[in-house]
Amino acid sequence: MDRRTFIKAGAGAGLVAGTAGLAAPALSQGAAAKTLRFVPQANLANFDPIWGTQYVVRNAAALVWDTLYGVDETLTPQRQMVESEEVSSDGLTWTFKLRSGLKFHDGTPVLAKDCVASLIRWSARDPMGLMIKALQKELVAVDDRTFKWVLSAPYPKMLLALAKNNAPCSFIMPERIARTDPFQQITEYIGSGPMRFVRGDWVPGARAVFEKFADYVPRSEKASWLAGGKRMLVDRIEWVIMPDPATASAALQNGEVDWWENPIADLVPVLRRNRNIRVDIGDPLGNIGAFRLNHLHPPFNDVRARRAILAALDQEEFMRAIVGSDDSLWKPLPGFFTPGTPLYTEEGGDILKGPRNIELAKRLLAESGYKGEPVTMVVAQDQPVTKAQGDVAHQLLKRIGMNVDFVATDWGTTGQRRALKTPPAQGGWNIFFSWHAGADCTNPAGYTAIRANGDRAWFGWPDIPEVERQVTAWFDAKNLDEEKAAIRALNKAAVENVVFVPPGFFLTYTAWRSNVTGITKGPLPFFWDVAKA
Amino acid sequence: MFVYVVRRILATIPVMAVVALFVFSLLYIAPGDPAAVIAGDQATPEDVEKIRRSLGLDRPFVIRFGEWVWQIARFDLGTSIFTGLPVTQLIAQRLEPTLSLMVVTLIIAVSIAVPLGVLAAWKAGTIIDRTIMGFAVFGFSVPVFVVGYILAYVFALELDWLPVQGYTPISRGFWPWLENLILPSIALGMVYIALIARITRATMMEVLQQDYIRTARAKGLSQRTVLFLHALKNAAVPVITVIGIGVALLIGGAVVTESVFAIPGLGRLTVDAILRRDYPVIQGLVLLFSFIYVLVNLAVDLVYTLVDPRIRY
Repeated sequence: MDRRTFIKAGAGAGLVAGTAGLAAPALSQGAAAKTLRFVPQANLANFDPIWGTQYVVRNAAALVWDTLYGVDETLTPQRQMVESEEVSSDGLTWTFKLRSGLKFHDGTPVLAKDCVASLIRWSARDPMGLMIKALQKELVAVDDRTFKWVLSAPYPKMLLALAKNNAPCSFIMPERIARTDPFQQITEYIGSGPMRFVRGDWVPGARAVFEKFADYVPRSEKASWLAGGKRMLVDRIEWVIMPDPATASAALQNGEVDWWENPIADLVPVLRRNRNIRVDIGDPLGNIGAFRLNHLHPPFNDVRARRAILAALDQEEFMRAIVGSDDSLWKPLPGFFTPGTPLYTEEGGDILKGPRNIELAKRLLAESGYKGEPVTMVVAQDQPVTKAQGDVAHQLLKRIGMNVDFVATDWGTTGQRRALKTPPAQGGWNIFFSWHAGADCTNPAGYTAIRANGDRAWFGWPDIPEVERQVTAWFDAKNLDEEKAAIRALNKAAVENVVFVPPGFFLTYTAWRSNVTGITKGPLPFFWDVAKA
Repeated sequence: MFVYVVRRILATIPVMAVVALFVFSLLYIAPGDPAAVIAGDQATPEDVEKIRRSLGLDRPFVIRFGEWVWQIARFDLGTSIFTGLPVTQLIAQRLEPTLSLMVVTLIIAVSIAVPLGVLAAWKAGTIIDRTIMGFAVFGFSVPVFVVGYILAYVFALELDWLPVQGYTPISRGFWPWLENLILPSIALGMVYIALIARITRATMMEVLQQDYIRTARAKGLSQRTVLFLHALKNAAVPVITVIGIGVALLIGGAVVTESVFAIPGLGRLTVDAILRRDYPVIQGLVLLFSFIYVLVNLAVDLVYTLVDPRIRY
């Protein structure tokens, strides 16, 4: 019993007769133990995981909607809602059979037609879905539990597309909801996942509530990330939105919340000193910083100007600005793919290793024809990661002789400005900063930032045919060796041509009360198997 | 009086119209793009553009403004771009915490500041006066969030007397409601206490020099009667004016206080809406705040008649 509860209990005993009408409805100890209070990374402002692809929406959606397949901790796709699949010998026809007994939260059975409608909506928004859609000849329900996807050419990454954890995931919704235009928001939140969304308790910006779905049938296998048996050991999960990290830290120390998804590094020492709190790396796949250059306009339309930055860039400076002095939270990254994953490579990354060469950077810059024109650097100040990268980059560019026009702004404005292709003097930009979840950077499937297909590429619009050739080679690869060969060549081409500048790889912590067990490391907070004593 | 009240309420309509036009224009020219925020960081420019079109954000200013005005004329503030929920529903969800915070703050502030101001005026020039005025300077100078963090550290983390954060509706009990509001109200009320205490002291000192006060004392009335019955009542008009003006301070301060104490009120809704460029929500909130401010000023004018019978409308 904590001191406040003790004081209240004492006061209550004294005043029980007179103040009975004023007493708060008490939760029994058992009920409190069955409610997990969680502070997510951001506000759950909308709840359509196809329409809005923010990570926080994906994380909440994974509780409510199930997927046909799910990746496990080895990044291997495993069956989830699917009982079995069959692919024709020519690789053109995929036939999927659903597990029996699957139900939506409104009590209706999950049918093949629901899967078909959901996949149609998903494939209009997801990069891999769009690739499948481009090959699609037919996507139809065969019977209540079977549906068929017929393609005009083989797509070897089909199961990965349906299992991947980067947004948008191919969540399965009832047909009537899945028929919503993919660019319009759904208005019903009915899924077949292990928890149901309590819409009446949703206060965007403050709270989101999920309750255990009694009819959920978990798989028999042990849970592993998005795969296996998703067994819920709590009855209710309350997401408590706390914009202020100091408040979240105090609430965790005080026992007002049970789990804080991403404590900032500055507060971790305080949390570690509290014997009731456990702190550990949250997502082993971490994050990759992004120092994004505009390939359309001078000076960065010349590869020598882009390479000048690689020659001078000190990743340690960038990473320390983001994570502080904790060396366990960052790694140098002479490439673009997530360290510790099967396709990780440093091929072609020598320019990012060893002592930094300012003189080489200056020489490359001069060769590119740069003569001190202003370089517009847009830096969102309301995101600690972008602000830290911007501050370090500003010094770096000044050191190599660039004339930086530092535009301090917020993330909302950055989002608008980075989409402008006009020259910087007319409202466009030369540089902005972001970061990518390491889970999205394990392969090119959901890694939009690595693509270099010109106008269709991510902001900065790099146009590098060799990168695109290797992306295609990876998609066509038949086995891991072929995939690795493609990624090695891709990484080399991406570094040589500087698709973007990678300022390094960094990790973040997660923290929870010691009476909570079962928290696993992963790219999103997994609530299955989490218990509270 | 009734005609005056009706006339004042009707006069709010052109004020609100000007506010509406101003806010809409300001948001239209302000940088930022809700479609980019919705689409997420990995979205392609094409996806962002499609979302922008589906939200109608690509349409001309006149059409969007005309639609919005037509909605307001039907008492409809529109729908949030992000949540898909009606703005009125979002505001209704957040109204109780903010009103509770403001009411408790007002009660705490007035009940501390007025006696302090009276005491300072009575003991003008003494150590008591200087201490109270020193406290007032402190209240003005220290930002709300600093006071908030200190209070939370001492009374929640160290002493464990009160919760760190959150809000409990009053429907779930008086004490659970109040215990969540004590620390934020004190934090928010500091500047307000300082303001009211200073103005009370200044006006009281002026009133205490008046002949009728000397007469009251000469009649042998007690110090308490002189101060609170004769002096304070005559010093009340400027104090009430400051209390009314201070409501704007409270609204501004609530934004910070609600963030520090994780109270799901209108202040946090405002910040969230601005950061995400949720235009209908921002517009609805600014209109609401303007309306509240106009109403508070009307209430202040009406209270004048209660404390000063010479004022009639």
